[in-house]
Amino acid sequence: MSGKLEYDEPRVVIRGVLADTDVDYVRNFFRRYRSRILDSGRLVVDFRDSPGIDSVTAVVLQGFCNELRRAGVRVSFENTPRSVMEIFESLSKFESAASDFKNRVSLGETLEFIGRSWYEMASTVAGLGRFLLETLGAFLQVLLTPMKIRWHMILYYMEESGYKAVPIVATLNWLLGVVLGYQAGYQMRIFGAENFMPTLLAYSITWEIGPMLAAVLVAGRSGSAYAAEIGTMKVREEVDALRVMGFDIFNYLVVPKMMALLFVMPFLVLLANISGVLGGMVSGMMFLDLPAGTFVSKLGGAVIPLDILWGMLKSVVYAVIISTVGSYMGMRVRGGASAVGRATTAAVVMSIFMVIFADAMLSLLFVHIRPGLSF
Amino acid sequence: MDAVIKVEGLRGGWDRLPVLDGVDFRVMEGEILMIVGRSGCGKSTLMRHMLGLIKPWAGRILFRGIDVWSNPDAMLNARRRWGVTFQSGALLGNLSILENVMLPLREYTDLTEREMITVAFSKLETVGLAEFATANPMEVSGGMQKRAGLARAMALDPEVLFFDEPSAGLDPVTSAKLDNLIKSINRSLGTTVIIVTHELASIFAISDRVIMLDAETRGIIATGTARELRDGSTDPRVRAFFRRNVGEESD
Repeated sequence: MSGKLEYDEPRVVIRGVLADTDVDYVRNFFRRYRSRILDSGRLVVDFRDSPGIDSVTAVVLQGFCNELRRAGVRVSFENTPRSVMEIFESLSKFESAASDFKNRVSLGETLEFIGRSWYEMASTVAGLGRFLLETLGAFLQVLLTPMKIRWHMILYYMEESGYKAVPIVATLNWLLGVVLGYQAGYQMRIFGAENFMPTLLAYSITWEIGPMLAAVLVAGRSGSAYAAEIGTMKVREEVDALRVMGFDIFNYLVVPKMMALLFVMPFLVLLANISGVLGGMVSGMMFLDLPAGTFVSKLGGAVIPLDILWGMLKSVVYAVIISTVGSYMGMRVRGGASAVGRATTAAVVMSIFMVIFADAMLSLLFVHIRPGLSF
Repeated sequence: MDAVIKVEGLRGGWDRLPVLDGVDFRVMEGEILMIVGRSGCGKSTLMRHMLGLIKPWAGRILFRGIDVWSNPDAMLNARRRWGVTFQSGALLGNLSILENVMLPLREYTDLTEREMITVAFSKLETVGLAEFATANPMEVSGGMQKRAGLARAMALDPEVLFFDEPSAGLDPVTSAKLDNLIKSINRSLGTTVIIVTHELASIFAISDRVIMLDAETRGIIATGTARELRDGSTDPRVRAFFRRNVGEESD
């Protein structure tokens, strides 16, 4: 049952119980009579026909009473049942707390928040560095005792991160090759230079796009999977269980992932390069009247072994980055399911960022090692 | 009787939050010691310090006279001779129950595959899970997961068995069965058992000795048998805990 309000100057009489569905009604009522109450300078809230009130309506009612008080109106309550008194008392106790709550975003706290996030980022990077060192330590130790290498785990991750990534890596690079070939050829045709398209395409794909796209795809597929796997094990106390059984966590959980990626990444990059160039060849045939034979002979004159090798070498760096960042983000998980989700996201973002950063550094440092293109 | 584990002047906690301050006690050979207290009193933290999962801020944890935190070898040696059962069982989800029990054997022994399987089966038999050996841990009930965790903890015939809240999430009957299993392992193999719990029924059923922790003092407030603490203690916090009485609480 919902309640009703009646205005009988200076009284507001409440009839029945005001329920949480009456909020709009109460607001409209006070808006309508506001000026009359202000003129009279007095308000008596009379509960004589009301046994109680819902706390949702009570907080609205109290808000109006406070506002009127500030405007100089004398507000009083009459015939208030005990239960209603208690509701109002408890609401007024927390009113100031609520307004403090709202004003909490002060300049100082904003600064603190910014400082804290920078600090957290710095400590993440420092932690990642330590983690990388420990992983490399465990990696070298494993290399010294090849008996302890967990080959079945490595094979498993090679299948998961390498073999199963073949279709997506091949398809996307092929598509990108088609698009790049078409775009480049279309523009170069203006100068009658579409014959140079194969060389340009092969160079850009083998040096940048192929390795990069393969690394981004592996980061998205496997970096996230590593973070989620280790993060879930962390939440379910499995990592603790392994530690108390005396297992070396790095050796057991991180090194197999890293070794698997070290094995498969170069070949994924090789695949990316080949399918990208094939895509370019298809677009040359379809859109630029460039026969496959011409394309291949142009390619043969332009591509040197270093082009193929360089991408594969870079992919070794990417493999270390992706496996380390994924595992590290998983290890940092504390708490519940949402922490695993955050770790997965952080793993992908961070490893893509670091892959591109590493690529930029490598390109800047080593762009001179390749002799100029021959057309 | 000799002390298997001695904890001396332990201070520690999570991150920068102090939980324990000046904790001293001994664990005697062959006893069932229960570390009890209300939620948040630091009993799980104490166990994590003992297991080498969190480094203590100060103090020593001696296993047969050697500080386990003094060097990695001491820790590894202790871990080889301890078995731990976690609250959720903490079985590796990508391995079958049998494979889980075989893990420590694979890591530490030179047994052949067949021998490892035989040992693992006999451990699963002890906890009554032999017919579930090939199941995935996620496919069996919570009680079975804990028993499988116990079988894995027992794989290397440990000198000390640790349990983190063995009754958590179990019905009274399953919980009592697990208690009986722990007791029979303790009596027949002489394994020292350390249990963290707040379950009164298990405390009275199987503990030889109880130490009680308190959040405010960050340390031990009572030591003795369960009955001594229930009937003889004058400390209102101890009485409140053992009689499930809210009224005697000081706050």
